[in-house]
Amino acid sequence: MKATIERAILLRCLSHAQSVVERRNTIPILSNVLLEASGDGMVKIMATDLDLQVMESVAAVSVETPGAITVSAHLLFDIARKLPDGSQVSLETADNRMTVRAGRSRFSLPTLPRDDFPMIVEGDLPTSFAIPAQTLSELIDRTRFAISTEETRYYLNGIFLHVAEEDSPVLKAAATDGHRLARFTLPRPDGAEGMPDVIIPRKAVGELRKLLEEAQDENIRIDLSSGKIRFSLGGESGIVLTSKLIDGTFPDYSRVIPTGNDKLLKLDPKSFYQGVDRVATIATEKTRAVKMGLENDKVTLSVTSPDNGTAAEEVPADYSAESFEIGFNANYLKDILAQIDGDTVELHLADPAAPTLIRQDDKSPALYVLMPMRV
Amino acid sequence: MAQQAPHPHVESGDTEPEAQGLRKIIHVDMDAFFASVEQRDNPHLRGKPVAVGGSSGRGVVAAASYEARPFGVRSAMPSVKAARLCPDLIFCPPRFDRYREVSEQIRAIFHHYTPQVEPLSLDEAYLDVTDDLHGIGSATRIAQLIRERILKETQLTASAGVSYNKFLAKLASDQNKPDGLCVIRPGEGARFVAGLPVSRFHGVGPRGAEKMAVLGIETGADLAARDIAFLREHFGSFADYLYRAARGIDLRPVRANRVRKSIGGERTFADDLSSGPALRAALDDIVEIVWERITRKEGHGRTVTLKLKFSDFRLITRARSLSRPVENREEFARVALTLLTDALPLPLPVRLMGLTLSGLEREQSAEKSPPEKVQLRLL
Repeated sequence: MKATIERAILLRCLSHAQSVVERRNTIPILSNVLLEASGDGMVKIMATDLDLQVMESVAAVSVETPGAITVSAHLLFDIARKLPDGSQVSLETADNRMTVRAGRSRFSLPTLPRDDFPMIVEGDLPTSFAIPAQTLSELIDRTRFAISTEETRYYLNGIFLHVAEEDSPVLKAAATDGHRLARFTLPRPDGAEGMPDVIIPRKAVGELRKLLEEAQDENIRIDLSSGKIRFSLGGESGIVLTSKLIDGTFPDYSRVIPTGNDKLLKLDPKSFYQGVDRVATIATEKTRAVKMGLENDKVTLSVTSPDNGTAAEEVPADYSAESFEIGFNANYLKDILAQIDGDTVELHLADPAAPTLIRQDDKSPALYVLMPMRV
Repeated sequence: MAQQAPHPHVESGDTEPEAQGLRKIIHVDMDAFFASVEQRDNPHLRGKPVAVGGSSGRGVVAAASYEARPFGVRSAMPSVKAARLCPDLIFCPPRFDRYREVSEQIRAIFHHYTPQVEPLSLDEAYLDVTDDLHGIGSATRIAQLIRERILKETQLTASAGVSYNKFLAKLASDQNKPDGLCVIRPGEGARFVAGLPVSRFHGVGPRGAEKMAVLGIETGADLAARDIAFLREHFGSFADYLYRAARGIDLRPVRANRVRKSIGGERTFADDLSSGPALRAALDDIVEIVWERITRKEGHGRTVTLKLKFSDFRLITRARSLSRPVENREEFARVALTLLTDALPLPLPVRLMGLTLSGLEREQSAEKSPPEKVQLRLL
């Protein structure tokens, strides 16, 4: 193989690839990125961790000899990063080595044969639809903070995607860690009808979100089966992200979304966030609980720490139900408030031990449920 | 009535009896506890070989009735093996809630005689009766009264050992089992230990006994004949314990409010293991044994630690903590397997594998301590 690529293009592709490649690998080939130069002047760059695979095609400056090889993803990325801006990088293989040349630099890297490189077998992906990049980004942002990191509840380690018939057909995304739940609803895209329920793993969600950062106003094509999902991002080059789906059953989360919470609290999400953040300063790692005292048109936030003393702050609010106190994990509250864009946030409360529903308003596509702390 | 001096050697009240003078320690151990409870509650099981534990797959025997023991059935033995040794063995699924109830009854009896009670598990405890609350006059008499009351109130038998430290009291309770009593008096400890095979020492397993046999150590007397340097050379950190134990010395106090920090178990393999399937099978066995122990000792912990000792004696540990206590055996097994899988491939064959659950929380103490801030669960 011999090909020459613009350093900027190579660097961008490798940054996508190296992020999929795990830092520590027991199988050597999984540390490598696959480079494949074809006669039509394109170079394909691919990386995998066996569950997630990214493939990107870019136009080379030139392809002298078509061929394919694998080299260490992190090594090549670090080299590309340090090469001078605007340079052209030549990649040439010979004798189980790949020579990287740019300007006056020359590197000779060990390689592994392309035939050893594992590919995810996509199989049939019968469901196909498209979502605008911006909507998909919002769907991820509104939900992913609630994804569980607890590996023993692996079926919560991702975003649950499913369709439903309500007043109109919808596509819903949900994530929960057992303490809080985030749900995002959008009109069902054409082609999504009859799709299987799927759980997209956290890592795939993270990589997709990074790639969406670079996508402009395009539509993202999604193809899926009950076992695999593929995201195709167009753009000048074309990136395809394929992931295995989590093989598990997401719990019936709809039953924990409260419907009869009758105490409505409305306040400004920014001053609420800042107030929680301020009083939580003294909370120690073990007791991140913030107590909210609700009174007529006023919320008093307070934290008591056995080591660090006490803190309190009053936040103006719109509240007319009976006075009571309720506690929440400060970080959980902040995670949710950070996702509220408008000037008001609604908290629908019942009692200090019942789930609280949080949303911007009844038209907002995002909805959150937060379980209190006993304080 | 004036309190009697516990022993003439204790001269004044300002000396710490645990460190200075002679103490009076009783070790009470229920006989085949789980199996006996089952036989008591189910008359058709009486007089028959009974094992409490799962009979299928990788289940282990949690307790075996005395009728099953002549066949070689022992606790912690794989159920499959037990069924082979004793074809008529009747398996009962464990009813831990029931055992806990009975255990509460027994502990109430202990507390009548002394507040200094250190439960080791549901079915055994150390009691320090140096202070004779009821003026009964002798620790042996107290042990006898406790055994009688246990029999009267629970229709179950207990064995008791009486001595001047925990190590000897435990050896003594094991001496005349079942339904037995044994006393090791001051001055008799070293002689008693001298005649025992080393395998009776707590902490000396089959592999340990084998190793000692190779070194020509078979009894407590053999062990006592070796100096501390020799023991340290061969047994490392275990040497100090062996040295003291061989002389019948044990200064550990009975700790009434002992909060157990971890529960675990390990196994040394007859042949070093290297293949993934063999390691996973061994892990399954250890999970069974340790989980049974966790249930028996009422442990609730968040951290699972896997210990692996390689053929070159190098030791590694891998741990994982959950955000809440491990809920059940399946979850414990799953975390353990994840730890093992993450450690693969291993650089060398494994000679010892162990699992520990730590970060223990006691349900009881959680109730008594001031209300903690608890995140409530949604799902």
